[in-house]
Amino acid sequence: MANAAVASPTATTISGRKYGSMNRDRKWALRWSYFFLILFAIFFLTPPIYMFITSLKTSAEISAESNPWWVYSPTLANYIELLTQNQYLIFFRNSAIVAVLTVLITMVISVIAAFALARMKFWGSATLATGVFLTYLIPETLLFIPLFKMFAWVNETFGIQLMNHWWTLIILYPHLTVPFCTWIMIGYFASIPKELDEAALIDGATWIQTLTKIFIPVALPGIIAATIFCFTVAWAQFLYPLAFTTSTTELVLPVGIVTTLIKGDVFNWGQIMTGALLGAAPPLIIYAFLMDYYIAGLTAGATKG
Amino acid sequence: MADIAARGSVAATGDSRSSLHKLMQRKSTIAFLMTLPLIVLILVLVAYPAGYAVYLAMLNKGMTRFVGFGNFDFLFGRETFWMVVYQSCLFAITAVIFKAIIGFVVAHFVHNIPSKGQRKWRGMLLVPWVIPPAMSTLAWLWLFDPSYSALNWILAGFDIERIPWTGETGWARFSVILVNVWIGAPFFMIMYLAALKSVPEQLYEAASIDGAAWWQRIWYVTLPMMRNIIAITALFSLIVTFANFDIVRILTRGDPLNSTQIFGTWAFRVGIESGDIPLGSAVSLFMVPILAVAATFILRDITKRGSEV
Amino acid sequence: MVSRKVSRRRFVASTAAASTALVAAPFVRGAYAAGKLSLGLWDHWVPGANKTSEALIKEWADKEKVEVTIDYITSQGNKLLLTIAAEGQAKSGHDMLSMAHWLPARYAEQLVPVNDIMEPLIKENGAVNGTVEYLGKVGGKWLGVPATIGSQIKGPCSRIDLMKQFAGIDVQAMYPAGAPPKADAWTLDAFLKAAEACQKGGHAFGIGLGTTSDSVDSAGAIFHSFGAQLVNAKGDITVKSDNVRKALDYYKRLMAFLPEDVPAWDDASNNKWLVSGRGALIMNPPSAWAVAKRDAPKVAEQCWTHGFASGPAGRFAPFIPFFWNTWNFSKNQAAAKSLMVFLSQKTSAEKLVVASGGYDLPSFEKFTTFQTWADEAPPKGTLYHYPNPHKHQTLSIAAAPAPHKIGEQIYTQGIMPQMVVRYYKGEAMEKTLDWAAKEIEGFMRN
Repeated sequence: MANAAVASPTATTISGRKYGSMNRDRKWALRWSYFFLILFAIFFLTPPIYMFITSLKTSAEISAESNPWWVYSPTLANYIELLTQNQYLIFFRNSAIVAVLTVLITMVISVIAAFALARMKFWGSATLATGVFLTYLIPETLLFIPLFKMFAWVNETFGIQLMNHWWTLIILYPHLTVPFCTWIMIGYFASIPKELDEAALIDGATWIQTLTKIFIPVALPGIIAATIFCFTVAWAQFLYPLAFTTSTTELVLPVGIVTTLIKGDVFNWGQIMTGALLGAAPPLIIYAFLMDYYIAGLTAGATKG
Repeated sequence: MADIAARGSVAATGDSRSSLHKLMQRKSTIAFLMTLPLIVLILVLVAYPAGYAVYLAMLNKGMTRFVGFGNFDFLFGRETFWMVVYQSCLFAITAVIFKAIIGFVVAHFVHNIPSKGQRKWRGMLLVPWVIPPAMSTLAWLWLFDPSYSALNWILAGFDIERIPWTGETGWARFSVILVNVWIGAPFFMIMYLAALKSVPEQLYEAASIDGAAWWQRIWYVTLPMMRNIIAITALFSLIVTFANFDIVRILTRGDPLNSTQIFGTWAFRVGIESGDIPLGSAVSLFMVPILAVAATFILRDITKRGSEV
Repeated sequence: MVSRKVSRRRFVASTAAASTALVAAPFVRGAYAAGKLSLGLWDHWVPGANKTSEALIKEWADKEKVEVTIDYITSQGNKLLLTIAAEGQAKSGHDMLSMAHWLPARYAEQLVPVNDIMEPLIKENGAVNGTVEYLGKVGGKWLGVPATIGSQIKGPCSRIDLMKQFAGIDVQAMYPAGAPPKADAWTLDAFLKAAEACQKGGHAFGIGLGTTSDSVDSAGAIFHSFGAQLVNAKGDITVKSDNVRKALDYYKRLMAFLPEDVPAWDDASNNKWLVSGRGALIMNPPSAWAVAKRDAPKVAEQCWTHGFASGPAGRFAPFIPFFWNTWNFSKNQAAAKSLMVFLSQKTSAEKLVVASGGYDLPSFEKFTTFQTWADEAPPKGTLYHYPNPHKHQTLSIAAAPAPHKIGEQIYTQGIMPQMVVRYYKGEAMEKTLDWAAKEIEGFMRN
C-alpha cells in the first residue's frame, strides 16, 4: 500500500514540474535507502556469517595467521563430529522437548487466562491484568537465587529432586513466557468486536465454546506470534539451565555448547561455532516460514490501544 | 461447569433479576477458574521467590542470623556496587537509545523500498534477534578475541592499531553495548515498521504538498503517530537489557576491573561463585526499584488500554 | 552413618594388614554388593583423558559391583564451582565430586572427613606439598583426597627460539631434561628483562591480568616471590606492607611489556597467545603446548615447560590442586572413599598422567617422576621439569596463607590482578592499597 504511492505518486493534483522533481527525489531516496540497508545488513549479518566461516575450518587453520575471513581448506569435519556425537544430539533433544512443552503449557495457560481477562470482567480482573504485566519487571536474574533454596526445600519436604533435571526447566520457563503471551493475547482478544461473542452467547454458546469456536480462530495470527515468541524464549534461555542443570544428559543446547565445547583453557572454536550455528538453526527456520505471522501478531498485539 | 454457565446465560435472556445475578456470579467463577493457572504460576514462580529474595537478602552470610538491612548497608559502602549501578544504567539506557535510533532508521529505509523486496530485507535484518543471544555472543567473543580477532585483522588492513575490544574499560563497555544493540535493534525495526505502515499515506502527501522537508515529515507526521509504540518498545527493551545476564557473562564476565559488571552478573558472582547467597539476593533486588520507575511509564499505557477493552 | 562405620573398620583393618592391601580389599561383599555411586569429575580437555578415567573407574566398579554414573563437568565459566554451590545449597547431588583449590574448605562443614584414608595414603605414597595440606586439611581434618585429575602447576612455558633470539636465554640449558635445574640466574629481574626484550622483538610474554584462575595464579606466584601477603594466617589485613608495594611496583613494570588487553584475558587467552606464535612465554600447564602440537606443530617444537623465576622471598610456582570429596548427605560415602583410594594407587595415578599427556599432576611425592614427563615430545624432555621433580620451587596458591574464607574471596574475585591493573593504569599506590583493603574487609563478613 505504502509503496504504491511511492511508485506512482498521484499526479492529478501535482503540477508536472513538481512531479518530475519528486520523482528524482524519490529515486535518490531509494538509492540511499539501498545503500544504508546494505551497510546495516553487513553489520547485522557479519557475526552469523563469521560463525559459518569458522565452522568450516580445521583447528589448524583457525590457529594459523591467515586471513580469518576466508576458508582455505573447507571441511565438514566439525559438523560431522558434532552430529555424530551422542552428547550434542542429547542437548538438541532436551532443548526441543523443553521448548515444545513450554510452548504448549504457556499457550494453554495464557490463551484461557487472556480470554477471561479480556472478556469476562470479574472482581479483580483489572488488577490481575496489571499484575501479570508487572511480573515482567521481575527478571530471572532476581529469581534464580531464591529458586535454589526453594528447590532444596522441595527436596527435603517431598523428596523430589529438582536440581539437575531438564524437566525442571519446563516447570520454570512458563513464568518467563506466560506474562508476555497473556499480554499479547489480551490485546488481540480486545480487538475482536464485542458483537461477535455477545451474539454467540445469546445463541446459547458456553464461554468455552465462544473461546474455542470464535476467539481462537479469529485470533490465530496472534496465537502463532505468541507461540513463536514463546519458543524463542524457551530455546534461548541461558541462566536457568546454567544454574540448575549439570550432567551432560540434562543440558540444553546453549548451555551445553558453552560448557562442553569450551574445555578448560583450550579452545575449540570450529566446533563451538558449528554448535552455535546449529543451535540457532531451529528458530531461524521457524522465522523463515512464519515471520509474517509473527510480525503481524506481535505488532498487532502490542500496538493495540 | 461450562454447561451450567451456558444454561445460565440462556436463562438470563428471561428477565429474572436473581438469575441474572447468579449468572454474573457464575461468570466470574468461571473466569476466576480460567485465570487460576496463571495466578498459581505467578504466585509460585514469581511472587513467592521474589518475596523470598527479600527475606534472604536480610540474612547474614551463613544464613543463620537475621541482619535486617545489614547487607544493603554493606553494599552501599562498596565501590563495586556503585559501579554496578552505574554500569547497569549506562548499558541499558545507551543500548536502548541506539537500538531505537538504528531500529527507526532501518525501518524507514525498509519502508522506502518497493514492497516486493521488503520481505527479503526484513528477513535478513531480523536474523540477530532470532539467534539465541548466548550463541551470537559467542560469535562476537570470537570476533573480539585478543589473539585472533577477525575485526582487528580488517583494521590492520587499514593500518589501524589493534583494538583491545574487551580488554580496556572503555572498549569493553563499548563492546557490551554494541552486542546488546546488535541483538536488540531488529526488534525495534520490526515494531517501527509495523507502526510506519499504519501511518495513513495521505498525511505524508498532505505534508509534501505543504512543502515539508523530509525531516519535517518525520518530525511532524511519523513520530507523533508512532509515539505509543516507540514508548512501549523502548520500555520493554529497557527491562530486558537492564536485567541482562548472558551477554555480559559470556563476553567479559565483568572484566576488566569489574567495569562491565551489571546487576545480573554481579549477583551471580557474589551469590553463587563467592558463596554469599544473601548478598547476591540483595544485589539483584536493586533491579526492582529501578525497573519500577520504568513500570510506572508502562502502567500509564496499560491503564489506557484497559479502559478501551 | 552405618556404611561409613563399615568402611572405616575395613580401612583400619586393611592398613594394619599391609599397605599394599589397600586397593586389593573389596569394600563391600555379598549382601552389600551393588549400590550406586554418582561422580562429578573435572572435564578433562585432553582428548581421551576422560575415557581413561572412565575405564579406570569401570574397572573398580566391576570389581566392587557398584553402579557408577560419571558426569564430566567443565571448570570453564565456573560451571564446576556452580554445580558444587548448587549441590551444597540443595543438599543433594553427586556422591563424589572434584573440588578445586578453595572449595573443600568452603564446604568443610558439609564434607565427610577422610583422615582414615588420607593418612595411610600419605604413608604409602609420600608426603603432599604444603599447599595441598593448606587447602585440603582444615582443623586437622582432611576434607578430600588430592586428585590426580586436573591438579596442575602453571609454570612458564617458553619458546626456546624466541627466548634465545630476543632475551639471550637458553631455557633448555637452564632447565636441562633429565637433570637438576641450573637456574640461579633465573630471577624476577632476569624475567623482567626477558619480558622487555621479547616485547621489543614483537613477541610479548602472555600473562593474563583478568579475574580468572590463570591470571590470579600468576599474580599469586609473583606476590609470594616478594613475600607479599594481603592477609596473614591470623586473618589480619596486611595489604599496606612494603612487600605488597614491592610486588605491585614490579608488576607495574612487567605489565608495560605485556599485551595491552591482558586485563580481559581469560584462561584460554594465554593458550591462544602461545599457539598463534605471538608469545614468547606464558604461564600455563602444558595444555597450550599440547594444542600447539595438534594445530601449530612448528610452535610446539619450540616449547619448553620449566620453573618460575625466583624473587627476594624465594622461588614460587603457581599450583592448583583438585580434590576428590564426598558430601555428608551423600548416600554412598563408603564406596566413594574406596574409589578415592583406588584412584590414588600408583598404577592408577600413572595411567591418568599418561592419558593426560603429562598434564595431570599427582600430589603425592612419590608420583612426580613418572616416565611420561621425561618422554613427552617434541621437543623431547619438554615436560621433564613440569612436575617440579627437583623440588626447586615452592608450589603455592594465591592468597595463601589467609584464612580460607577470606583467601577464597581474594582468589575468586581476582583482587591481586585487579590491584595490578589499577596501579598500572595510574592510580596512586596508596589508593590501590586502600581499595584492596576495603574489598578484603568486605570478605570478613560471616
